[in-house]
Amino acid sequence: MTALVEARDLTLSRGGRRVLGSASFTIEGRPAVTAVIGPNGSGKSTLLHALAGLISPDQGSIKVLGESPGRSGRVSYVLQSSAPPTNITPITVRETVRMGRYPAVGRWRRFSAEDRAVVEDALARMQLTDLADRHLHELSGGQRQRVFVAQGLAQPHDVLLLDEPLTGLDLVSARTIDDLIHERTEVATILTTHDLDEARMADSVILIGAGTVISAGPPAQVSTRAHLETAFGLGALHDWHGFLDEHHHD
Amino acid sequence: MDWFTDPFLLGFQQRALIGGAIAGVMCAVVGTWLVLRGMSFFGDAFVHGVVPGIAAAVVLGVNPMLGAAVAAVVMVLAIEAINRSTRLGEDTAIGLLFVGMLALGVVIISQVDSYTGSLTAILFGDVLGITVSQLVQQAVLAAIIIIAATLLYRPLLALSLSEDKAKLLGMKPKQTHAVLLFLIAAAVIGSFQAVGTLLVFGLLIGPPATAALVARTVPAMMILAIVISLFSVWLGLVISYYADTSGSATMALIPVVLFFLTMIARRIRNMMVVAT
Repeated sequence: MTALVEARDLTLSRGGRRVLGSASFTIEGRPAVTAVIGPNGSGKSTLLHALAGLISPDQGSIKVLGESPGRSGRVSYVLQSSAPPTNITPITVRETVRMGRYPAVGRWRRFSAEDRAVVEDALARMQLTDLADRHLHELSGGQRQRVFVAQGLAQPHDVLLLDEPLTGLDLVSARTIDDLIHERTEVATILTTHDLDEARMADSVILIGAGTVISAGPPAQVSTRAHLETAFGLGALHDWHGFLDEHHHD
Repeated sequence: MDWFTDPFLLGFQQRALIGGAIAGVMCAVVGTWLVLRGMSFFGDAFVHGVVPGIAAAVVLGVNPMLGAAVAAVVMVLAIEAINRSTRLGEDTAIGLLFVGMLALGVVIISQVDSYTGSLTAILFGDVLGITVSQLVQQAVLAAIIIIAATLLYRPLLALSLSEDKAKLLGMKPKQTHAVLLFLIAAAVIGSFQAVGTLLVFGLLIGPPATAALVARTVPAMMILAIVISLFSVWLGLVISYYADTSGSATMALIPVVLFFLTMIARRIRNMMVVAT
């Protein structure tokens, strides 16, 4: 079976700064949920950008489902803090979610009944049907995050990338998105997170730190004391007791 | 009824109305995307950036539209070059070019004998001096803008969220941005005769900003911006006729006044909703 993610000697930069260097790892099979964890500024979002094809490797290669990112059309990426650029903008929730169909309908083709059904289903999954005619600037941060997740759902994909999907959300929004992450086993979801509980429940983990990918694979393989010390430093391990205990590592 | 028709009895008055209306439509369509993308300051700088091109064209005796087009290209390339070579930020680059290009334009135009008159016409327009050939040129530019904006609706809408999002949705943001710059240039070039380079910003941003306060969708915002533009041109010319004010400046003033009136009305309505 084609690996979900395969990176070889991967080096990534962002904003002129090298973020990840010489990272080689593989996420085998098709795990439903993969958590990318690591300290702030370690390169979690940069890795997702590379997986989505937004940035190209300085060196090495990365493949998603055996294909170069950005060319396959099989990846949908929900960016972190997808805020509208102006305070007042007459872009409705439904219009925003409809944009998720653009890769399918292109620049000019009319929306089919199927396209419209996909949009309505995405709105319903994110509990946005009642808010569909609201403007983006009329929503709370959590509601807006759900809109962009719904847009990601409407986009044709086999892999869903979520950058910090639960950070700073209200309870309803966090639960709605969290339920989605763990209910949809037919597609692979890769998310970055600071939430150790979220990482603990993932089927595989990519641990980033010290400028590279330290380990990737099943949580039990990744969450060793040595790996976590390398990523977070010796002093940070008290935060990780639960994670370590869960997987019974010394 | 005569009150409405008297300002447009003569040929030059009718050409002013038509020229102003075409400028208003062009600016409303392009300005909608500027407002949605938060590029108002860029638009302001851009309209001033074409001044040296027009000034050089006046000095050299060639078509001012050609000079404005050359200056627009220089402006875009300069902004891109500064962005690539420094970390000062786009607003700094735009601000510097804004002042630099305006000053250069004044320096160039000061070389002609009728310095004051030429400068006034460039900066503030001469809507009553629009010729039939200029109307034809305006109409061609307006047709290009309307067709391009219609065909690129989805890429422009995606780009209004963010460049990254547009790329993720397969909407080619860099090409779309380049076309938008071209459309801004076309709108400014097609409008400066009517309202001048200083005042074209009023038509470019005023109607779309006002429409954004009340419209529920982007197409509604664009249509409303066009209606506000046309109303502003008509009312501006009528007031200009009876109050003996500058036609171009009065036209540019109306949408700005409408914006603040709409904003105040909106605030009062919100306060009343909260109170009930």
